[in-house]
Amino acid sequence: MSSNVLGDALGAARVSRRTGRRPSKMSRRGRKEAFYFWLFISPWLIGFVGFLLGPMLASIYISLTEWDSFTPPEWVGLENFRRALFEDPVFWKALGNTFYYSAISVPLGLVIGVWLANLLNKRVRRRKLFRTFIYLPTLVPLVATAMVFKMVLAPSGPLNDLLGWFGIPGPDWLLDANWIKPGLIVLSTWGAGAATVLLLSAMNGIPRELYEAAEIDGAGPVRQFWAVTFPQITPIIFFNLIMGLIQAFQIFSQIYIFTAQTGSIGGPNNASQSMVTLLFREAFSFYHFGYASAVAWLLFLVIMAFTLIAFRTARRWVFYESEVR
Amino acid sequence: MALATQTPQADADQPRGRKNGGGDTHERRLSAFKATPATYAVLILVSAVFFVPFVLMVSISLASDQTSAENAFTVIPTEFTWTNFTDVFTETGLPVGRFVVNSVVIAGLSAVGQVLSSSLVGYAFARLRAPGKGVMFMIVLATMMIPAQITMIPQFLLFKELGWVNTWLPLIVPNFFTNAFNVFLVRQFVSRISSELDEAAQMDGLGYFGVYRRIILPMMWPILTAIAIFTLTFTWGDFMGPLIYLNSEEGMPLALGLQYMTSTSNAMQLPPWNLVMVGSIVLTLPMIAVYYLGQKYLYEMNLQGGSAGVK
Repeated sequence: MSSNVLGDALGAARVSRRTGRRPSKMSRRGRKEAFYFWLFISPWLIGFVGFLLGPMLASIYISLTEWDSFTPPEWVGLENFRRALFEDPVFWKALGNTFYYSAISVPLGLVIGVWLANLLNKRVRRRKLFRTFIYLPTLVPLVATAMVFKMVLAPSGPLNDLLGWFGIPGPDWLLDANWIKPGLIVLSTWGAGAATVLLLSAMNGIPRELYEAAEIDGAGPVRQFWAVTFPQITPIIFFNLIMGLIQAFQIFSQIYIFTAQTGSIGGPNNASQSMVTLLFREAFSFYHFGYASAVAWLLFLVIMAFTLIAFRTARRWVFYESEVR
Repeated sequence: MALATQTPQADADQPRGRKNGGGDTHERRLSAFKATPATYAVLILVSAVFFVPFVLMVSISLASDQTSAENAFTVIPTEFTWTNFTDVFTETGLPVGRFVVNSVVIAGLSAVGQVLSSSLVGYAFARLRAPGKGVMFMIVLATMMIPAQITMIPQFLLFKELGWVNTWLPLIVPNFFTNAFNVFLVRQFVSRISSELDEAAQMDGLGYFGVYRRIILPMMWPILTAIAIFTLTFTWGDFMGPLIYLNSEEGMPLALGLQYMTSTSNAMQLPPWNLVMVGSIVLTLPMIAVYYLGQKYLYEMNLQGGSAGVK
């Protein structure tokens, strides 16, 4: 279902735009219906104005001020944005870390997801059992995941034991400024099951006739994967890519839990500072609400830019069946 | 809310072929579907690796205080200190029992809020006609794209102004004003219910609220169950919200309380990892239970994504 949400949303928007325009003259009954419509949507409308639109406008204003919330805000114009972009090395470090994490964890999760889904899509005995094992980690709350991965990634933890079997000396992961980001990526791959089940259900829906035709043409399993399976699941890959990127750019809880002990959110020397940990620290540790709001808007711009790029390139690699018909 | 958690078991439970025009008999002969020993080897290896953190969690939760203080844990449990499961409530110096109750209350009230508000708003968007409705719905869709960080700071300042900091209100109240994604889900669901019944009910003199309350609401429960599950899952595991708004231990939910458990007063001192892992298990099990009880409804909702749904 979720795979359809993007398409559904666009379709619904188009339909509602058409039906939205109604003649201005309304019957008494029509007016009553309209009254009830506004009455019934009022919870959303109040929430939209009070918790979203209002705060958004306020956020724009706050980002143009310097404000600790105790003394009156001081108007500084675009100073906060200038400082973030041209003066604050921590901002660029946080942006770089966030890119690094997203650029590796999201594609890696998708590759693992496609690979596992393709294996599960075969005539495997005990498929349900395997799928449960792969899906189970996605049900674990992030805080619990972070707690157990503190141990999985401990210098003498199970991951380093595993590497040791292959003669690889494992790093200190979370304790080492160079390895904490790879550690976060390892944690993220534990959640690859979410993409796997979505991809598996998409693969399940591919008409078997396509494989028969490929088989008759002499294509082997690998060729069949790239020629039949892969194009058919590109919409789901695309959906997971967008959702994964948006989530990855907002990484926070894991980093907070891993680094709060060090006394500085984001770790010593900001080794694992991300955009959201930076804005959290600026806002709630230092009370730099203006600067933190500017960081929030820059994060929003980055997410928008990547979403747009993804949609732009989608035309080249995402396959929709309706295009062929 | 994580969209990816939304379609768990999906269609994969369905017998093969029904959807693909009886392809089952042919699949046997297709090389792409042939499971080789290598297929099993990889699946078994991956399943095992994915399961290790669970085993480790259990192993640490059963370790003695001695092992915990030395940080000398093994993946395979060697000790079985079952008293850890009661000690977690008495020996940590934190009100862990309260944490659990707080989590239940916050998540429960949030789910009630989302179910009530999204059902009413979604019904209105699906059934009632009014000028301006199209524009409103466009706004609903547009707001799905806005990351929470944008509104986080002004919301905090607003709630601080209202004196809501260090209460549960900032975590619960916004749920009674629904969110765009849930409105969208309900609206899509109700649009697929035939309107004959509510038209007939209206003829018999039932008002708009009556139609919602007596006709549509009873038919909405699959989608409302799904929304309740999403909200429970999100709120139960939420860390950032409580971190921003709650600072007294008495009011914390378990997700934040666990983090408090790991912060010791002395930097040289190790947190009681065995008890922290018991807490992590307590945090995890309800989510697995909710998922297994609710997957039927999530699955039904899934079907409605593609078909006509409730007739």
